[in-house]
Amino acid sequence: MIESKRRRRVIANIATYLVLATLSMFCIGPMIWMFLTSLKYEADIVTQTMQYIPRRVTFDHYVAIWTQSGFPRLIANSLVVTFLTVTICVATGTLAAYAFSRFAFRGRTQLMLGYLVVRMFPAVMMIIPLYVVMRGVGLVDSRFGLALAYTSFLLPLFVWMLKGFFDSAPKELESAARIDGSTRLGAMVRIVMPLARNGLVASSVFIAIAAWNEFLFALMLTTGQGSRTWPVGLQLMVGEFQLPWGVLAAGGILSILPVIVLFAIVQRTMVQGLTAGAIKG
Amino acid sequence: MRALGELSETRYWMYLLLLPSLVMILLVIAYPTLYGMAISFREMRLTRPGLGGWVGFKHYAAMWSDPVFWIALKNTVVWVTAAVVLELALGLLAATALNRDLPGTKIFAVLILLPYFLPNVVAGHMWALLLDPRLGVINDLLVRAGVLHTYKAWFADPNTALAATVLVEAWHGFPFFALLLLAGLKSIPEDLYKAAAVDGAGVPAQLRLITLPMLKTVIAAAVILRVIGLVNSPDLLLILTGGGPGDATQVLSLYAFQTAYKEFNFGYASALSVVMFVILMIFATAYIRLSRITKGDGDD
Repeated sequence: MIESKRRRRVIANIATYLVLATLSMFCIGPMIWMFLTSLKYEADIVTQTMQYIPRRVTFDHYVAIWTQSGFPRLIANSLVVTFLTVTICVATGTLAAYAFSRFAFRGRTQLMLGYLVVRMFPAVMMIIPLYVVMRGVGLVDSRFGLALAYTSFLLPLFVWMLKGFFDSAPKELESAARIDGSTRLGAMVRIVMPLARNGLVASSVFIAIAAWNEFLFALMLTTGQGSRTWPVGLQLMVGEFQLPWGVLAAGGILSILPVIVLFAIVQRTMVQGLTAGAIKG
Repeated sequence: MRALGELSETRYWMYLLLLPSLVMILLVIAYPTLYGMAISFREMRLTRPGLGGWVGFKHYAAMWSDPVFWIALKNTVVWVTAAVVLELALGLLAATALNRDLPGTKIFAVLILLPYFLPNVVAGHMWALLLDPRLGVINDLLVRAGVLHTYKAWFADPNTALAATVLVEAWHGFPFFALLLLAGLKSIPEDLYKAAAVDGAGVPAQLRLITLPMLKTVIAAAVILRVIGLVNSPDLLLILTGGGPGDATQVLSLYAFQTAYKEFNFGYASALSVVMFVILMIFATAYIRLSRITKGDGDD
């Protein structure tokens, strides 16, 4: 009896590891292949017999994408847009998340639901009027305009996520500070913010990754070199110059590198925040 | 600073805190949304600036007799259903395996979640390379394994194009389900399983009687969020196929985007997206209703 139970557990463990290994391979296999492709000579990519392990390695594709296209410019634009988006979200969203987390007031539930519902609006439905409005005020083809557009779907997300982190920061310290004569503002800045620091970082990183990756709004709202971000630039390069696979792969690897690094650093807190919001909401 | 501190003691403080984000949301969401709905009742083409009058339900009537609209509607339903079912299944598998908390699973969790955070542009081209008709490694593997005789142009064949894009979407989206379902599994008390095991319930019975009912809310939430996301975002299809070959992978969001981006016919594009929005709303309401009813049955 005990013997068979034990054997069953061992089999279950082996099955678990098999499932996890297969799924992981499915997930990162394509990325590994893209990385290998970026290191191969073009002649080795288009051979008759597939080379699974590259026989010789080159960094030419990385040099090519960095020097022969407007890639650095695209990356710089993306950095500016991402930075502006995060700044706007942090500046306005932190206050809202704090208010939702700490105060009971009339209309609170409805407002929070409202913040959730606006996420359901189709991007296409907003892109068209946003384009018309932004053209009217001269914000088409501007990095600030694009950041404003990103706020439309990232700010509600940021508020919900951060509210979860504020909720889990203990209220006792805040009350103690209030008794010691601190104002609400003082308690918020000096007590609650530091307590929820990790959550603030994780939520900001989540917003940053989303802004960095975004494609559709950028395609519609940017028309020139001045504000074009890397996803649009890379896509247009593929269409216009019939970009060689090696160069495209190198561009892909370069542009997901910051995402992978950031994800690896804050993934635990970020995952916590994402799930907390979804489970409770 | 001092004045602000005093202000924070008044009873309007929370409204002041909310004001900046509320202004932002009203400005960049509410106003454009209403404006967009208005555009759907007007003639607006960037290529012909002279137009601009109200045309009532003209665009909606045109949609009714537009064959591409009906194809796109059908494709949207097929594409979203197939992708969500596949992602839910893979996500459940991943979450169940991760939830056993065997040594070393933390690393697997990071690897499995990674695709969700990758940009569509890179994901799309990466899979285009993998499935390429001449140099695709997947073709090579399938031929070596004897499944295929020759390389196949997955995205160019109307019979396989939609399925191929579903595969890419599943790769990109299933970690989202894994993430939410894992959190849901963690919230189920261990005692329930112990009690069931004492009563002689095997693993399948435990799955059916404990896990799935306890996960019902999480599954419902995840499915709704994912369906909304999939219906609304044409990115991946725009990159992979552009709706082709023919209209084999044309979906509503992509059709609306192309109508706006290529033909600059903003009026018709807006009407398309309003219809899409209404369909989504109806789906979401019906789905929430239905999952509540079945939940009530389970409680008896």
